Order: sequence, then C-alpha cells, then structure tokens
Amino acid sequence: MRRHVTLYGLTFSLPLLIWQVLFFVFPLVFLVALSFWTVKNFAMRPDFDTINWVTMFSRKVFWQAYGTTFVLATAAAALTSILAFPCAYAIAFKLSDNARRWAVFLMVIPFFTSYLVRVYSWQIFLSDAGIINVLLGWIGLGPFHMLNTVGATIIGYLTLCFPLAVLLQLFSLVFIDRTLIEAAHNMRCGRLRTVFAVVIPSARVGLVIAALFCFILSFGDFVSPIYLGGGDPTTLSILITDTTKSGQQWPRAAVIALTMVGTLLAVAFLAVKFAYKGRTK
Amino acid sequence: MQRDTLVSFEGVVKRFGAYVAVQKLDFQIHKGEFLAIMGSSGCGKTTTLRMLAGLEAPSEGVIRLSGKPINDLPTWSRDTPMVWQSLALFPFLNVRENVEFALKMRGVGKAERQRRAEQWLDRMQIGEFAERNIAQLSGGQRQRVALARSLVVEPEILLLDEPLSALDAALKVRMQSVLKNLQRETGITFVYVTHSQSEAFSMADRVVIMSRGVIEQIGTPQEIYRTPRTRFVADFLGSSNIFTGKVTSVGGAGIALQTDSGPMQLSASNAASAPVVGSTATVTVLDTKMRLSVTPPADGVNVVPVRVIGEEFVGATATLYLETAKGQEIRVQKGHEELTGLPLGIGQALFTSWSPEDGHLVAGG
Amino acid sequence: MNGDDEDINRNRAVDWGLKAYIIASFAFVFAPIAASFVFSFNADRFPSIPLGGFSLEWYKAVAADPLVWEGLRNTLMVGIVAGVISTALGFGAAYTDYRYKFFGKQVYLALALLPPTIPVIILGLAMLAYLSRINLSGNALSVIISHVVVCAPFAMAIIRLRLSQMDPALEPAAWNLGASEWKTMRHVIVPFTKPAILGALFITMAVSFDEFAVAWFVSGLNETLPVKVLGFLQGQVSPRINAIGTFVFVTSMTLVILAQVLLSGRTATARPAADEQE
Repeated sequence: MRRHVTLYGLTFSLPLLIWQVLFFVFPLVFLVALSFWTVKNFAMRPDFDTINWVTMFSRKVFWQAYGTTFVLATAAAALTSILAFPCAYAIAFKLSDNARRWAVFLMVIPFFTSYLVRVYSWQIFLSDAGIINVLLGWIGLGPFHMLNTVGATIIGYLTLCFPLAVLLQLFSLVFIDRTLIEAAHNMRCGRLRTVFAVVIPSARVGLVIAALFCFILSFGDFVSPIYLGGGDPTTLSILITDTTKSGQQWPRAAVIALTMVGTLLAVAFLAVKFAYKGRTK
Repeated sequence: MQRDTLVSFEGVVKRFGAYVAVQKLDFQIHKGEFLAIMGSSGCGKTTTLRMLAGLEAPSEGVIRLSGKPINDLPTWSRDTPMVWQSLALFPFLNVRENVEFALKMRGVGKAERQRRAEQWLDRMQIGEFAERNIAQLSGGQRQRVALARSLVVEPEILLLDEPLSALDAALKVRMQSVLKNLQRETGITFVYVTHSQSEAFSMADRVVIMSRGVIEQIGTPQEIYRTPRTRFVADFLGSSNIFTGKVTSVGGAGIALQTDSGPMQLSASNAASAPVVGSTATVTVLDTKMRLSVTPPADGVNVVPVRVIGEEFVGATATLYLETAKGQEIRVQKGHEELTGLPLGIGQALFTSWSPEDGHLVAGG
Repeated sequence: MNGDDEDINRNRAVDWGLKAYIIASFAFVFAPIAASFVFSFNADRFPSIPLGGFSLEWYKAVAADPLVWEGLRNTLMVGIVAGVISTALGFGAAYTDYRYKFFGKQVYLALALLPPTIPVIILGLAMLAYLSRINLSGNALSVIISHVVVCAPFAMAIIRLRLSQMDPALEPAAWNLGASEWKTMRHVIVPFTKPAILGALFITMAVSFDEFAVAWFVSGLNETLPVKVLGFLQGQVSPRINAIGTFVFVTSMTLVILAQVLLSGRTATARPAADEQE
C-alpha cells in the first residue's frame, strides 16, 4: 500500500542485489575489461588494447573450436530433445498422478547430484575393458574403442541435459488441455498424428526452452569433452583452460569466454523469439 | 433512527495510476448499524472497505473514525478488523492460535489471551474445535473462526468483505442470520461489502449502492427497493421495469410522459423534484406492481400492449417475459393463482398496465 | 484418464512401450550413480564385470587419507555457510518479488535468477580473475562467495514458489489484526514458508556440495573454481574415486530427497473435512 521505500522493504531486497552486483555483475564486467589487457613477460597489465580480440579471431584453432562446440552443442540439444520427449510424453500422459509425482521426484535427484562424478562413472561402462565391452565380448563382438570419442562426449552431454530436458518438457506437457487431444481424436486425427499436430505445437514454448537449456549446458560444459571425449576435438571450454595455462594468457581466455556469452545470448534470444512466435497477440 | 457517526468519508478519492477507483466519496457510517456496500465488481466497494481498514491510502480526502482522521494510521495501528473473502485464516496455526493472534500482537498476556479466546470460541460455538487445524474444518466452521478471530479484540467496527461467497446456498442463509444476530447482540458496527442483493437486503440496516466509484444511492433496503433513485440502481436491482420518454406536462394531478411504449402518467409525489416539461425522464415500476389482462383495462392509463416471449417459475411466483411492439422487454412477477385463467402461450397478445401511484421518476434520465 | 485399459482410444502395446521407455530413461540416468556405488565395494583394482569380491578396502583407503578429511570438513563448512547465506538472500529476493512492484524489477529478477545459466567455466574464469584482483581468491571465503552467487537463485525460486501458494490476503490480514510488518514477517510469512526455507537450505547445500566436490575431487583443498580443476582425472579409473563418488552421491541425494519431501508435504496431514451439517 505504501509507495515509498521502507527500511523493512530494503532489508529484504537489498542483500541479494548487493551480492549479485558485487560478485556476479562486477566479475563479468571485469572479464570485459580483462579482454583488453595485455600480457608481457607472463604478467598481465591493465591496458586498452584490442590485440587479444584480433589475435584470437584470426586464429584457425579458435574458429575450429568454435565450430566444433557449436555443432556438438546443437547435436546434443537436438538429440536430448528427441530422446527426452517420449519419456516426458509418457510420464505426462501414461502414468497415474501418483506415479507421475514419483517420476518427477526421481528425475529431480540427478539434476542436483554431482555431474562430474556421474560423468566419471561412465568411464566404468565405456572404457576398453569396461562393462559394455565385456558384455559385447560375451556375444562375440568388439571390443570397441568408445572412451575418448565424440560419441562418449555426447553421452556426457546427455547425462548433463537429459533430466532437465525431461522435467522442462514434462512441465509444458502436463498443462496441455486434455480436451484438445480428445477433440483431435474426435475429428479423426490418429494417435501419432495428434502428437505432431496437437501436442507438440501446444507445448512448443516448453520444448524450445528445454532444447535451449540443453544447448546452453552443452555449449559451456568442459567436463564431458575432457573426461569422456579425451580433449579431442578441442571445444571452446577446453580452449579456455589451455589458454589460461599457457603463459598467463587470461585476457585471451576472456575473449573466448565473452564470445561464448555473446553466442549464448544470441541463441537464447532467437530461441525465445521462436518459442513465442505468433503467441503474443 | 438518528445515531452517532462512527466513520465519515469526506471527499475521499482513490486513484491507481490513471484509473480512478473511487471518486469523491461523502458518507457516514452510524455507530451500531449494519451497513452493506453493494455493487458489481470494479465498482469501488472493496477499495472503500480497504481504505477504511488502512490497506489502501486515499489519494484525496479524509476518513475519520470517531471524529479523528485516520488517513496516516497504518493498518496495524487501527482497530478495524476485517473478515476476508478468502477468510485468510493462518493455515499453520490451529483454531485457538488463530483466534488469539490479534491479542498476541497487542501484547496481551497468555492467561488473558486464553480466557478471551475461550470466550469467543464458545460464543461462536467452535470451542470443541479449538485444537484443530484449519484444514480440518468445514466451510461454516471456518467462517466462525474468522469472525471470532476478528471480534476477539472487541472492536467498535467490523469490516466484512464478501465473507459468505464461498458457501453453498443453504449455509449462506444460515450464516446470514448468525451475522445479523451477532451484530444485534454485540452492537458492533458492521460494514459488509457484497455483490449480492439478497445478502445486503436481508441483513443490512442501510445499503450503499456503488457504481464506477460513485455512490448511486444510500438508504434502507425498503427505500431502495421501492424507489430506486437512479436508473443504474433500478437496472442493478433488476426488479423494476424502466420506461424512458419526454415529459409532456407537469401539474398537481401528475406528471405525463410520452414514451416509446405510449403515453404514461404518474403521481406528482413520486418524483424527488418536479421535472421540466420537454426534458427526458425515466420511470421505474416494480415488476410485482404490473397488472396483466387479455383485454385493455377500462381506465386506459399506462396500458402497454405486449406479446409473451417466455416464462420462468421460481417457487411460488412466476416471472413473465413480455415484449412491446417496439421490442422493449417487460417483466411481470405474479403469484401462480393470479395467473390462472390467463392464456400464456409464447406469442400470446396481452395488455400490461400499472397505476400512477406505482411509477417513480428517477434521476439521471 | 490413468491406466484405464477399457479406453478404446488407447493402444496397449504403445502404452507398454512408452512405459518401458520411461524405465530405460531412468536406467540411463541412474546407471552412473549405481555403477559408482557397486564398484566402490568391488575388490578388483579395475572396475569391470564380472565383479570381484565384496570389499571395504577403498573406503578404508579413503578414510585413512587426511586430505579427504580436510576436504570433508571444508565441504561441510562451505556447504553450510553458503547454504545459509544463499537461503537468506534468496528468501529476501523471493519476498521482494512477491510483495513489491518497482521500477527495474525485471533487472532485479534477472540478477536474482540468471547466474546458474552462465556456464560454470565462464563464471569460474570471471570470478577467479575478479576475486584475485580484489585479493579474495584462494581461500574458503572466495569459494563461499562464488557458491552463493550460483545457489541463491535456486533458493529464490523455491521460496518464491511457496509464496505464490500463499493466500494473498494472509499478510494484510495479519496487519489488519494488529501485527506490524516485522511481526507479520515473523509470525506469518516465515512460518508459512518454513518448509520451502528448509527445502531451499538443503538444495543449496547440495548444489554447493556438488560444486565443491569438483574441487575436492581434484585436490582436497579449497580450490573449487573449475579452472583449477582441469588436468586431473584423465585416464584414471580408481576405485577410490568410486568410494568418494558414492559418498558424494549419497550425501547430495539425501539432501535433495529431504528437500523434496519438505516441499511436497502438505502443511497439515489432515484433509479438509467435508462441509458437514452444523
């Protein structure tokens, strides 16, 4: 009711604002400044020089890593979305209310349990003498070299994104008006066709947002490409760590990081625009 | 029925940005009365109540409680407890703790708190549920808890914001009599906001009808029902037929108008102020005062030829929907025995008429 | 509409296929967790099948390592402190969003919610560079600071959700009954949001714990920012890591399960009574 600022109101709103400005906004701003610093004799100096941008953008390694990362993240987003959808769909439409609550309960757990340890554990399955190769050996196949391949990296991305994608998709699917589906059936739209003609368009926003999160997570991830992909091909996140290690080139790492942020912002903007296309009337 | 003034609104205006929720409110609430504020949603009735409770600050004007201006008094420093539409009972407290809440906030000691809560729990007949959770109570029981919670501080005034809207019809009627009796016994001033005519008219001593932030009429239920002062009120109550036309003569014998449905006459005493000849005027006639016949009545006054377009039976009475040649709808309410013998098939031609004493001129054409 | 075999519009084969798919999905999601658990008790040096004998050898080895204990102490300390601060800040932000409208609220909410969507590697780089610049890097304080940045949004979201379940009349009702804003906070808002506050505390501790696990995995030291993480683990498949991993899983799963139980629990065990005759 009272319009003016009160001590009471500030007590609750200010702490987070101060914290995030000091320790979230400032570091990111500092990263921008850092990208214009120069490095001489393994020491960073405050400066305003575009040399880091010019150097990084003229390097083939950088653009290769950029292309690799973009393609891998896109593939991971597409694959995760496609693989997660039947699961989210089934949880939304084929389970009882109680079973659905359990499914959500279980899906939330991995989202908050150490991703690094989970990725690490995949090595038990994928290594040359690992579980999968032993199993294949029993039926006379293999062994296949699976660890340190792009396929293994993708499995890592799936580990990272799958639970979140299912939850986000599920969240949009459960809010679909069931009578829409019944109306479609009533107008002779078959089961599978209804999924494509009614369910997916109705849940579009959630599906696009889920894919966007998969892209963001995979694009920035460094755990899977290193521990499952063996660091080859080089992704931008690997390039960042390599750059910081080699001769204090933090300003160049900042350039890479900022390019990633820019890419993510652009992708997020386009995705959200696509998700809400034709909706805001 | 002149009583002391407890609350007065003096030129009170409330704006939300560019939107004016309440414009120039001037009225008094008497000590010990049951006042209902009625209107459709968005009319400003709830805003008026919330200003009185201190939940909204007036943009202009003064609100006085017992003569003292209370504009700048925060909610928690006023003794204007409210019963909310949602009841707003604290779900994490049991019944007793809910009732004790206001006393606790006022620093009343534990023993005293318990004693006073006990008293109101018993009075509201919910003593046996004292230790229950809110979720374990029925709708009617919750209503009683909400009343006890607000009344435990023994305020001079109780504000009620559509408190019965969540109840089913039978329980609603029962709670109406509980509220009315409570108000009579305690003598506490009740200000009751509602959109329901039946609630307002059955409980209130006086009713305020609001529309678009303006008071349309204040009066006892009978006054308002019999003589709606404005066209809006007549429309809103929905119990009158409305005829609009040009005033053709004004004299001691009566007022004559020419309307779409023909010439009409009403007694001169039925207009608050004498209209000017040639001006547009509106006449209301209660649907229970309309007469029906197959042939035109002999006196020939205020007779309108109509056709039957529908009928509706509600208990002992029937409402007939009729249409004039010009397409105006006219409603007539009658007991079943009054209708026996009349042909009432759809399309049947009939004549309605009303006596000049039953027509009332309203303000604002 | 659930599991009705009589429904003529359903195809049983399709339904069973989809249900099997759900199970396969969970198998995929939980496989690494289960494997870590199973092989932490496996006597063999190299984890594979068939399993060797049951053994607690790796747990003993881990328990004998003083670095692990130091890491654990640090983890708990950082987790608790970061959890408490994140929950407090998140509560404030959630209440601000619930209660107030103000100019620039969109920006405020963006600051309150965005950090977890920034890739850890970028956030880590920025933080490490910034914190070392202001001489805050390399100690537990810097770890807590960065964890709070990432954890507070989770707390905010959880508590905001709870506040949106609150009858909007509850707070004004308390004012109306004579409680000042501060008293209302203490006697109404906090009690109402208590399950969410505890849930947020557990979730933020789990998030902090997982982030910390990253650092702990590497060095058992305070280092947690991902940039310092790199270079470790490659090519090593040590059952000791499985033992630590299992511990990490069990701890965070416990926290997350506790949080979920709190958040899904009804305020009272009782169901609303039917509108009985009075």
